[in-house]
Amino acid sequence: MSFSDINWAVILIALSGALILLVRDWRIAVPALLVNYIGVAIFLAQQQFLQPDLHIGSVAVSTTVLVKLITGVAATAILAITALTFSREYNQEDLDEFSLAELRRAARRAQRQRAAEPLRLADYVVPFWALALAVLASVALPRIYPIGTTNTIDFVWYWLGLVGLFTTVVASDILKVGLGLLLCASSVDVLYTAISSTVQVFPLALLGLVSITLALAVAYLSGLLYGRLKTLELNELYKR
Amino acid sequence: MAASCFVLRKQTRLVILAAFATMLVQIALVAQLPLDQPARLLGLTLNLDPLGRLFLLTFLAIGALAFLATWSVPHGEQFVPVALVILGLSGTTLLLLQEQYTASLLLGSTGLLAVLAIVDLPTGSSALVQRTTLATALKYLVLMLIAGVIMYMAFVLVSIYRPDVTPGGSSPAHLILALIVVGFGLRLAIVPFHSWLPDLVEDAAPMTTVLIVAVVNAVTLLFLISSIQFFFYPVEVIGGVENARSTLLLLAIGVVTALLGGVLALAQASLRRTIGYLLVYNAGMILFGLATLDSVGLAGALFETLNQMIIVLLLFLSIGLLERPDGRPLNVVRRDLLWRRPVAGTGLLCGGLALLGLPPFNGFAGKLLLYEAAARRGGPYLALLLLATALALLALLRLARERLLGPSEEVADEFPPLLGGTDLDRPADRRLEPEPRGMAVLIVFLLALCLGIGLYPQPLLATINEAIRGLTFIQPL
Repeated sequence: MSFSDINWAVILIALSGALILLVRDWRIAVPALLVNYIGVAIFLAQQQFLQPDLHIGSVAVSTTVLVKLITGVAATAILAITALTFSREYNQEDLDEFSLAELRRAARRAQRQRAAEPLRLADYVVPFWALALAVLASVALPRIYPIGTTNTIDFVWYWLGLVGLFTTVVASDILKVGLGLLLCASSVDVLYTAISSTVQVFPLALLGLVSITLALAVAYLSGLLYGRLKTLELNELYKR
Repeated sequence: MAASCFVLRKQTRLVILAAFATMLVQIALVAQLPLDQPARLLGLTLNLDPLGRLFLLTFLAIGALAFLATWSVPHGEQFVPVALVILGLSGTTLLLLQEQYTASLLLGSTGLLAVLAIVDLPTGSSALVQRTTLATALKYLVLMLIAGVIMYMAFVLVSIYRPDVTPGGSSPAHLILALIVVGFGLRLAIVPFHSWLPDLVEDAAPMTTVLIVAVVNAVTLLFLISSIQFFFYPVEVIGGVENARSTLLLLAIGVVTALLGGVLALAQASLRRTIGYLLVYNAGMILFGLATLDSVGLAGALFETLNQMIIVLLLFLSIGLLERPDGRPLNVVRRDLLWRRPVAGTGLLCGGLALLGLPPFNGFAGKLLLYEAAARRGGPYLALLLLATALALLALLRLARERLLGPSEEVADEFPPLLGGTDLDRPADRRLEPEPRGMAVLIVFLLALCLGIGLYPQPLLATINEAIRGLTFIQPL
């Protein structure tokens, strides 16, 4: 196999998906999501599921693929901005003294936790094994349950779906839950575009809208969670 | 209107009136829509059948009454705009039931929007969003998105699946069935995917719960029926003589859901969670009726869904009034709710009885049809469904004994002032405002409606029977 035979789009999708599942730091995970969207767009353009109808310089692409890419960029931007600001301050003048005291307690607890938690390898054990399982399943499932016309297509949508699901399950913070759900949405997007006998514009547009709405909902919940607990960690949410 | 209401959301009364008027206008418009005359728009087929119109009118009426209820029942600042969008999307989904991809995505979007209503706080609230409310919203968001993705995946697979051709030697029929069970099970709160519903009932504002259970879940059920008719039955994934196993699986899931809902309702200490599990029980009963795939069971399931919409509004309106401040500390367990709030207490008790299908309320005719369908399937099914209802009834009676019918806690202070004390030293009288008259009238109206439908269900049943006559997957009796 020569260098040019390597499907770089699939490599991009696989690596960025693995990064999202493995890492805890949003500074790596959110850009990885953007790379994933770019990989999916290149993959869809390369496989010619949709006829190119737009010429940008010497490159012919489908408008639908371009819209998918823009949707992905928008969803990533929403999550990135959320991660950067991490806060929705309540109108504190409206709060009673109990609520204000609770906010101060939450801020102190979050600060203590941040200071006490350096990089711990134990936090990566479950994501690592989840990744191993996702790799095995994504390689095996296209052979056991072939849905698409090629193994590559099946690998891509199985991979995105499994990595998304596992990311949601092992997520320790709300932003990562959002990243996992967006990968799941991306998986059905690829499946529909690649396999459906007639690709309709309206469902595709609605899928894009769902991705953006999902990113906005996760951003809103993140803001509320941070405003309440001064952290995005989910274990704080479930503490009694 | 949703956008306008969002801009004006701090003008609570104005926004409620505007939303109520919007519902009335929509009811008038829907009543004039021609039936069974498909129209094409943006490449999509929009169609309204008699069943769709019946449910759409009921959604709008429930929406209108829910908006009126928010006049007195606590609700979030953004409830009205979010509810308007959800009702709009639900109505659109009903018109687009034949467009499987679009409908499943619209349902997914509805779920995402409902999250905004769950975490909503009233205007100018001095409290923080509760942790449990945030956890419930997050759980609902994740589960509804996963349900949407799974349903969409099932439809994509159905679109390429041909029963006679099995590429690669393996048939995806079982995979499609599994996706349908999980996807629709998550949305309809079927065991073991039910955990979001009791949490939602416990943590969300009463009218938000009404919107999700009465409107969004009912649309999901109609979508499932439409999907069986147009997609799953033609490719023999559900229904048909050759495919009895899938039907048996759905029947078993329905029975287990009803039983577990009844058992878990019995084990709850909280009023709201008990009602939440009673709703899970009813979801199981409805699924059972649908899974029989015969005219009696399906009519029972649809009639029960329609009744549930009215009952859920009655129950949560009553809960909203029962939870109004009554001068006692918030952590005190109230045991005399029926005596303190007679109308709301009666609404809760009768609503519960109607949900379980006891005569003379509206649930009776629906449950009778479901029992008849179960009896046709075999004695054990009937026995199990009756056992589930008995357990649910026990749970309701326990709730009534512990929360509604306890002795009055208002003890008249007959003692004279202590030596050296004056009348000023006595504790202040507990403040107990009377039930708001408008809400009391609304509860009485809903109770009368439940009784009216219960005593004279024929017109509704005739409409439902007429509507399901055209369904091809119904097996002859």
